[in-house]
This record gives sequence, C-alpha cells and structure tokens, in this order.
Amino acid sequence: MWRRYLATVALVALATATGVSLRGHLAAPDLVMLYLLVVCVVATQFGRGPSLLACALSVPAFDYFFVPPFHTFVVAEERYLLTFATLFVVGLLVSALTSRVRTQEREATEREKRTAAAELRARTEEMRSSLLSAVSHDLRTPLAAITGAASTLREPHGDISDAQRAELVDTICEEAERLERFVMNLLEMTRLQAGALEVKREWVPLEELVGSALTRLEARLEGRPVHAPLPADLPLISVDPVLLEQVFFNLLENAAKHTPPGSPIEISARAVDGQMTLEVSDRGPGLPAGEEARVFEKFYRAPPGGARGAGLGLAICRGIVEAHGGTITAQTRPEGGATFRITLPLTGEAPSVPAELPA
Amino acid sequence: MSAPGPLVLVIEDEPQMRRFLRASLTSHGFQVVEAASAKEGTALATGHNPEIILLDLGLPDADGMALTRELRGWARMPIIVISARGREADKVEALDSGADDYLTKPFGVNELLARIRVALRHAQQARGTAEAVVEIGALRVDLGRREVTLDGKELHLTPIEYRLLTLLASHAGKVLTHRQILNEVWGPGHADQTHYLRVYMAQLRRKIERDPARPKLLSTEPGVGYRFRDRVEPEKR
Repeated sequence: MWRRYLATVALVALATATGVSLRGHLAAPDLVMLYLLVVCVVATQFGRGPSLLACALSVPAFDYFFVPPFHTFVVAEERYLLTFATLFVVGLLVSALTSRVRTQEREATEREKRTAAAELRARTEEMRSSLLSAVSHDLRTPLAAITGAASTLREPHGDISDAQRAELVDTICEEAERLERFVMNLLEMTRLQAGALEVKREWVPLEELVGSALTRLEARLEGRPVHAPLPADLPLISVDPVLLEQVFFNLLENAAKHTPPGSPIEISARAVDGQMTLEVSDRGPGLPAGEEARVFEKFYRAPPGGARGAGLGLAICRGIVEAHGGTITAQTRPEGGATFRITLPLTGEAPSVPAELPA
Repeated sequence: MSAPGPLVLVIEDEPQMRRFLRASLTSHGFQVVEAASAKEGTALATGHNPEIILLDLGLPDADGMALTRELRGWARMPIIVISARGREADKVEALDSGADDYLTKPFGVNELLARIRVALRHAQQARGTAEAVVEIGALRVDLGRREVTLDGKELHLTPIEYRLLTLLASHAGKVLTHRQILNEVWGPGHADQTHYLRVYMAQLRRKIERDPARPKLLSTEPGVGYRFRDRVEPEKR
C-alpha cells in the first residue's frame, strides 16, 4: 500500500521536473495541467488515498517552483490563489469521480464472476443429476431382475417348470455379476477422479498382463478365435501390473460385448522408438463415425441398438493409461471392426536378469 | 452321507455372508461352526480343532493378518482368507503370513469348494507323502524321476525353470505369492526381484503352454502371484 503513496510522490516530482525544464516555454496555467494529469493518473491507477496526496502535494509544489517569486512559498500576485484553489478543487473532484468509477468497475467484475459461478453450479448440478439418473438406472435394472427372479422362486404355490427355474437362477447370477462389474467400475472411476490412484511400477513382460486378462475373461471369450502373436523379444516395461491388466481386461471385455459371438479378436504389440504400442482389434461393427474420441468419455454409451454398458470401462482405460504417461486412441478399421491402440513410453533401463546355462 | 464331513470354521462378521457360507457348505456335506469376531474365532479354533478355517480379512475387532499369524503360531489347519477386490496387498500379506489361499468377494460356490478341496488335499499330503507325479492336461511332471513331459515328449528345462515348475506343480491349485516363489527358487536374498520371476515365468510358459499369451496351466493372479491350475479347474460359475 505504501508503495502507491511513494509512487505518487515520485509522479508529482516527475511533473515538477518536467515543468521546470519547460518553464521558459509554458505559462503557469499550462503547468497546472501537468499536476492535474498526475492527479488523474494516480486516481485511476492507485485509488482515492494516493490521489488526495497528489492534490495536497501539487499545490505547494506549484507554488514553490512556478509562482513568482520562485523557490519560496510567498505568493506575489493574488490571482495565483485562485489557481491554487482551482487546482485543489479540480484535483479533489477528479479523485472522487475516478475512485467512484473504480468501485463500480470492481462491483461489475464481481457480479460477472458471481453469475459465471452460478452458471457453472447450475451446469454441474445438471450433469450430476443426469449422471445420478444414469447410475441409478444401471443399479436398479439388475436389482429389479434379481428381486423379481428370487421372489418368483420363493413363491410357495407357484407352478414353475425346471427349465423356468433354471432360467430364473441364471438371471440372478448374471445380473448379480453385472451389478458387481458396475460397482467395481464406479469405485475405480472414483479412485481415478479423486487422484487417489497410486501407480506402483514394476518391470513386467507385457505377455503376462495380456495373458492374465485373457484368463480372467476365459468364459466370456469362449468360442472366439483370439490371436495374440506377441513377439518373444518384447522388452520388459515398467508399469503398475494390476492397473494395466485392468486396462487389457476392459478393452477385451468391451470387444466381447460389442462384437458378434464367435468373431475374432486380435492383439498385437511392438516396441519402436522408445515406445511400446499395443493394439486390440475386433471384427465388429466398428465405432460410430466421428465418435472415436468420445468413446473414452465417462458414461458414453454406444448408440441404441448395440450392447448396453455403463460407459465406464473405456474411461477407466484412459485414466490408467494417462497416469502412466501414455495415450489411448480408437479407430474404425478400413476393413471393418475397431482398433484400440495404447502407446506407453519405454522409460528407464530394464533391469538385467542373470543368464542361466541351458539344460 | 455316513461319515460326518470335514469341519469348517467360518470367521466372518457379515451375517448374510455367514448365511450363504453355512447353506452352501452344509449342502455339500461339510459341518460348519461360525464366529462373528476374531475373539470368538480364536476360541472356536482352539475348542473345536476344525479341519479348515475361512477367515474374512475385514473383521471389526482385529486385523485379519494378525489373526492369521496368531493362528499359524499353533495350528496347522489350512486357512483361506476372504477379501474384497482391490485389496491385493492385504491378500499378499495374509498369504505371506501363513494363509493357504484366498477368495475374492464376490465368489461363487464352485470357486469356494475348489479352494477348500485343494487346501484339504495339500494339508493331507503334508501329513503323508507328497504325490510323486503331477499330471495336468498334456503335461506330466514326475517329481521322483525329475522328468517333465508334454504330450509324451520330454521337455528340456533349465535348472531354474525346473525348480519353478516343480514348486508350482507340487502346490497345484494353490496360489503362491511372488515372495514365496522367489524365496524357494532364488533364495531369501532375492525376495524382491520380482522381475527375475516374471522373466523365467514367461520363459517357462513358452515351453509348456500351447499359446503362452493364453495360459491354461500357469495362471497369473494379478498383484498376488501365480497358480498352477488344479485338474478340476477351470470350472464355470
């Protein structure tokens, strides 16, 4: 704050110095303008307090340097008293006016900020409620199926065949499994968004992670040709094995969900230019044109008609891959089907494993 | 059933989980005693001498890991821990503290029975003599004659590959943590060198699996370790 007053004093001194150097060319009333200019500048830039100081300093400075006799505060002619008064009053008015303008301006900015905040709140609220309705729908549908099937089975006087009974039991198991996946994904997403994701890097062969995901999905991939010709000489990669395995699991599960049963899935990998690239390709309907980037958005859903998912799996993939400093993209292949491509930087030097004599 | 089935001690605080375990285990011929807390569990373990313990890691009155260690202090019966997904570190700690296997919630009855069967079988083998020959699919591991064959053809394994395979095969169906395997095969000085294990595991899979990227014999348990698949697996839920 005191800097502003110091600057004010400096500006008045500057005006005085300028005036002194121009004294031969300008009349005293013109020199008054210099001081008024300083008052205006100070009032707009520094506010009311410094501008009052500028007024207070201008009058004696003008008197001392520009009113004859020079270099005294003695005033020889009475008309200069009017000049002093005018200078002082105009200075006060300017300072009052500008500081009022400043206050109004500040208020306007604040009002704008408040409006923007309110708008953002409204948008967030809207998003949250649509999200909530999507989530509760995804939770309620399997719950409704489970409750319905279970209560039918419990009905003592019901007349249901063995086949119907088996179907109801299957419904309960499948829907419970779906519910579990959804809750797991929600938790994972929450962890990702809270920034609570801890990447515990270890040196691993990619093949192990792909293999583990394929094993976990064994039942879901039954009857599908899966080609995973991973080169034997792929370097080890430093990643969080549990998280990256989840990425492969989600990608493969996604492929299994959105492509016809029995259609093939291909997995390929290569290490080029300090970067590991891994692709999961399918022979399904591909991605809706123009939506290739949107599929990684949270709660994005495939257009109606296709398989239904909660729209979290791919968003989780992106979160995990990005936490590893990598990228994930999707495109429709010219020959049909979709390809999901992950790139991960190959950083650091893989530790060596002591060689062993062959048997 | 003429003879009473094996006695299972269930230590689990959630009543609905106890109800599910009681119903499914008794319907498969097991006898069940239940405890809702660690304190009660310890008392029942001492009093009933169960043949196997199912222990939930999320008990309110004690840390499951500490309880595992305490039970292991005096009891040899198998302990299977139950825990939620995403708690891999807890499972590893419980296994390294002496638990025999784990189940991840939610699990189906087939998975539960398979784990119990494997654990009981290994407990029995530990008392008597271990099986000399392990046969799974096309793979045959003759531990006595130190011979490994695939489709009848002898496989040439390096000493480390052989030790790795026989360790896992002699614990068929049971999970082994990274640390446990590293300790056994490379020695305690290498217990943190998980990349050794991963590299040799990949090498071994290339020799014994038809498609090493889709292993059928040696499965990876993400964040925990490896499991040589039991002959009764894979089962459908």
